[in-house]
Amino acid sequence: MLLLLAAALPGLLWDAPPDTAPALREAGITRVLVPRARLSAWQNVAGISAEPADPQPAVKLRPPGVNYRIDLGSASRSPWLDLNGWQYQRRPQGRFTYEAKGAQAALAAAEAFCYGGSAMVHPDDAGLKPFAQMLEFLRGVDKPDMPALADIGFLDDGSPAAGEVMNLMMRENLLFQIVRQPDPKLKLNVRLGTKDFPLEDAKNPGVMAHAVRAKLTDEKRSVRIYGSLVVVARVTVAPDGLRVHLLNYAGAQRKVDGVRVRVLGHYEKHRLAAAGSPGEELLDFVADTDATEFTLPELKTYAVIDLSR
Amino acid sequence: MHRRLFLYGAAASTLVRGQGDQPAYRVVTPFKAAAKPGMPGPYPGRVVRVHADKSIDAASRSVNQDTVKQMLAAGMKALTGDNRNEDAWARFVSPADVVGIKVNCSGAPNVRSSPEVVGAIAENLVAVGVPARQIYVYERFDNQLRTVPYAKFLPAGANIVAAEDSRGSILGYDPRVYVETSFFGEDDTRSNVVRLVSNTLTKIINVPNAKEHQASGVTGCLKNVAYGDFSNVARSHRFEKTFTYSFIGTLAATEPVRSRVVLNVMDGLMGVWHAGPFSESERFRFYPKQLMIGTDPVAMDHKLIDLIEEKRKAENAITIFDRSRERLGDPKDPNFNRYIREPGHVEYASKLGLGVFPSDQIKLQVVEV
Repeated sequence: MLLLLAAALPGLLWDAPPDTAPALREAGITRVLVPRARLSAWQNVAGISAEPADPQPAVKLRPPGVNYRIDLGSASRSPWLDLNGWQYQRRPQGRFTYEAKGAQAALAAAEAFCYGGSAMVHPDDAGLKPFAQMLEFLRGVDKPDMPALADIGFLDDGSPAAGEVMNLMMRENLLFQIVRQPDPKLKLNVRLGTKDFPLEDAKNPGVMAHAVRAKLTDEKRSVRIYGSLVVVARVTVAPDGLRVHLLNYAGAQRKVDGVRVRVLGHYEKHRLAAAGSPGEELLDFVADTDATEFTLPELKTYAVIDLSR
Repeated sequence: MHRRLFLYGAAASTLVRGQGDQPAYRVVTPFKAAAKPGMPGPYPGRVVRVHADKSIDAASRSVNQDTVKQMLAAGMKALTGDNRNEDAWARFVSPADVVGIKVNCSGAPNVRSSPEVVGAIAENLVAVGVPARQIYVYERFDNQLRTVPYAKFLPAGANIVAAEDSRGSILGYDPRVYVETSFFGEDDTRSNVVRLVSNTLTKIINVPNAKEHQASGVTGCLKNVAYGDFSNVARSHRFEKTFTYSFIGTLAATEPVRSRVVLNVMDGLMGVWHAGPFSESERFRFYPKQLMIGTDPVAMDHKLIDLIEEKRKAENAITIFDRSRERLGDPKDPNFNRYIREPGHVEYASKLGLGVFPSDQIKLQVVEV
């Protein structure tokens, strides 16, 4: 049920020559990953350390964000989220790259950090400062190895269909982990092509994600999100509690004004760190016998809430 | 997932089981009903309709403020039987109350609770001793509310408040009070009450418009305190299907809303007979030149149905009770609509104890000013 997280911060992939260093310094960038061919040119640049990187074999991820797809009819009011958490779960040892514009670079960095992925972010000029600011925030978040909490075991056959189902489960805040065999300790195990989850249904991954949710039932879901359709949660387990990660996939455009979170379990203490919102406090915190709820008044891009007993 | 509700333990919660194709609802609230809940209040089955030909000029849409005041006074006295206007108002509010005036601005700036009506109500509140600072004119969406010049008609110190300063924000809603259900498998299954309603107000005066509604059939007293007092309600419509039939009454019956709504004043100076509630087309507006007053939202909304149906009949438009799929389409034509309307929500609400529905049990008193 548990997946160990790596602890690396995402790197800035930069293929421009060293004469761009002033812009990097102004943005607050102190470390870059550069193509091997440029490494020597970058090695004596003041204030910026350079390391070689080869983005070619890395898995290219979608720039994270919200795609409202107003040109498409939909059976749902939910906007489409471009998210990559399932990719990190599918390839925990993988190397990933993002092409990100503007504030998307910050969201990409936060997403990679949240899922413990090894990622290189290639921003445009406008993305340098948001990326640097997010990196500064991430450095301040203590990052012990914390296993992920999952309700569902998913037997991933590596197919595109399975990938889309994982994508939709993540988008619906259904916490899953990839398993090789059904894990009886989990609340539900999902294998496509079985009676409960026929392959035919997987042609519409949204339908499949709803079927998974129905089988699991909402009452057993470890985390629920209310008040936003663009926030995705990840939960990791600490020795004395939980860490709730919240990613706002609309963060490159707008903050979320209030998101209500419910987690199973009784936790009386809490500590919040929210990127871009120093000093923010949780509202309406309620620790009932079987569940804990709170409201985050503002979510710009990424927040981490530690809950403990 | 469709139409199922997954329950979890919560204090002070009630399960309302689904019937037919209606979903189950879980109502969670720490508030208990008042000994005498505001709805249906002391006058179940009673509706006072006050008509004044000079209340509004249809050509200029200008409202005669003095006439509106006379209409309101006449209606309140007729409803209560009191000879003095102040005595009538004192039955519903006292100087200690913090009073919300729930306006409807969903069709603003074209169609909305008239500021002249709202101003006249506030004037009466002040007259019975409610300090202006204890009066709150409120609505869900700030961008709609701010298009209407209420401040110009309110006593100094009265408050004008929206639950959502920024559209979609949940901060203006109370996390303790919600109705939970899943209509179409949506992940956000809660609709929370406006925080002002639960935390601040002791009484609410409901001021809806007389409008047809593309989903619910009509939008009158019940819908204004249901969809107007709770978050995340648009999720009840998708494609041609809407669950307004049971959702409106369920929300309106949730405490503290049910207990705190003590009076309904329906603004029918101008109305909308088709393509409501937004009323983008002037063609579908009309001028009943009336106010309806009462404490029973079901009886009043039944009379609203009659009003809308009468107008539609005069315009050769199909009834709002039509459920044929052939009539689904662009509502620019009054014989087409986007949804299968659910005017039955009014009768459904009567089954929740919110008022009296049968025509033969409703006593309508018509007053001419």
